[in-house]
Amino acid sequence: MLSTEQAPPISVPLRFFAAAPLFLVLAALILLSSDTNPFTDSHSPAMLAVTHCITLGFIGMVMTGAIQQILPVVIGSPMPASRHVVWLTHLPLITGTLSLSFGFLLGKSELLNFAWMLLGFGFLIFIASSLISLYRAPAQNPTKTAIFFSIVALTATVSLGALLARGYATGMQLDYPQLAAIHISLGLGGWVLLLIIGVSYQVVPMFQLTPNYPKWLTTGLSPALFTALILLAASRLFDATMLSVIAKLLFVSLTACFALITLRLQNQRRRRVADATLSFFRLGMISLLLAILCELIAAFRPEPFKTLSVVIFIMGFVLSVIHGMLYKIVPFLVWFHLFRGGIKKGVPNMKEIIPEIWMWRHLWLHIATLLATLLTCIWNAAIHLAAFGLALEGLLLCFSLYTGIAVYRRTLNALHEHA
Amino acid sequence: MSSLAEYMSTDHKACDAAFALAEEAALDNHWEQAQTAFNAFSDNTGRHFRMEEEALFPAMLNAGGPAGPVQMMLMEHAQMNDLIEQMAVALANKNAKTYGGLSETLLIVMQQHNLKEEQILYPIADRVLAAERESLLTRLKAI
Repeated sequence: MLSTEQAPPISVPLRFFAAAPLFLVLAALILLSSDTNPFTDSHSPAMLAVTHCITLGFIGMVMTGAIQQILPVVIGSPMPASRHVVWLTHLPLITGTLSLSFGFLLGKSELLNFAWMLLGFGFLIFIASSLISLYRAPAQNPTKTAIFFSIVALTATVSLGALLARGYATGMQLDYPQLAAIHISLGLGGWVLLLIIGVSYQVVPMFQLTPNYPKWLTTGLSPALFTALILLAASRLFDATMLSVIAKLLFVSLTACFALITLRLQNQRRRRVADATLSFFRLGMISLLLAILCELIAAFRPEPFKTLSVVIFIMGFVLSVIHGMLYKIVPFLVWFHLFRGGIKKGVPNMKEIIPEIWMWRHLWLHIATLLATLLTCIWNAAIHLAAFGLALEGLLLCFSLYTGIAVYRRTLNALHEHA
Repeated sequence: MSSLAEYMSTDHKACDAAFALAEEAALDNHWEQAQTAFNAFSDNTGRHFRMEEEALFPAMLNAGGPAGPVQMMLMEHAQMNDLIEQMAVALANKNAKTYGGLSETLLIVMQQHNLKEEQILYPIADRVLAAERESLLTRLKAI
């Protein structure tokens, strides 16, 4: 169900998308200046700063912007007070992430305290308005269910994150490793994965003319995944080993199911032309399978496989899928907002908005960055290569997105002059 | 006898198949093949639009169906027709790059349009036109 007539102004999603790549550049700069390595100390202050630049600053920023587009258009239910929500989520997310990262990096408790309040406030607004929008949505569909569970997982992720940051700032006695593990699994496995799953139900068949996802999967997957995550969190809190094994196996097999079925659907696509965004998406699904494999091996050999699993999940799965989506959605949004309301001459087609060649270059750059990051596992100096690649990725994405925005502005002006 | 939703949705898939063939051939610079597939796509789509504009939509409006969504669909038909005309020109000029860009754009417009029809409009049609479904299907097939 798509109600494009309810689409928010283009500036709503684009302001999030345009800010996000800068956090990749910042993450890279921190990596380069601090000489930290995720495989030697994944919880060093500098690594925490880098991780949150990527997860909150990039991934969280894009996803928060995307939901403000998805709820009105895909679910058919606008955000309440959407104009205010945009400001009250965008600015706190930027300032909160900056202050969190520098709080970790410089060991300043004032910054950490400022950060959890800002981020808590921004996400509270975002979560409340998303839930109201979901509640008001006219129809039930699997994407809506997945987004609902994703938002619930986000709520828990943010609450735990705020608690951890506050504890970190004040030196409060907390079981940090345990709470951090729940924070990470609900953030990545819940909020991020469930949203990607919900959106995939819509875009995978649409963009490549594949068959639809099977009905049993779209109905059952997101509630089952969410249940597995809750069981996993409970097993950690109550130290129940057996439950933890069952929950983890359930989570891993459900996730593998999603990745394998997505790859199979894409193999059955009727649209056979080469498409960089499709390659990004498939790279993402293959990475998801690899991340799962590492998670399984980690049961027998925790390091480096535990870290490897998280690194591949973030860099290989999430970043690839997000890049693929942005390179498809942004040109379409620009075209759609220029063309809406009737036939107009002189509107560029999607491939004239962000040149395709840059998408392919970005794909290769992303693969190289991913390989360099994995190399860090055995060769410490590769971290510089990985950081350099990440910085270039941020800059290239900025360049592509700003090119698209410039085409939008230029064409809009030309259309107004003709009118 | 199938429902209106089933009949019209199956027709969407037939349009998709020709669309994909034309795009692939054009990007490979196989212009003759591209032209054949494009003609099939353009004919199929033209017929599909006529089924809706001449028979299905007027019948829905007569039976008290919602005017707003129908109006929206008609506007999107006009947008798609405009893109298809531009694609015909790109094809005549053997310009693979322009064809590819237009085709990419049309794909998303067309797919989101089809989803709206299949998930919202056609089920409404089946509801408000239950009594005259068989005669309407016969008319649709004759177009």
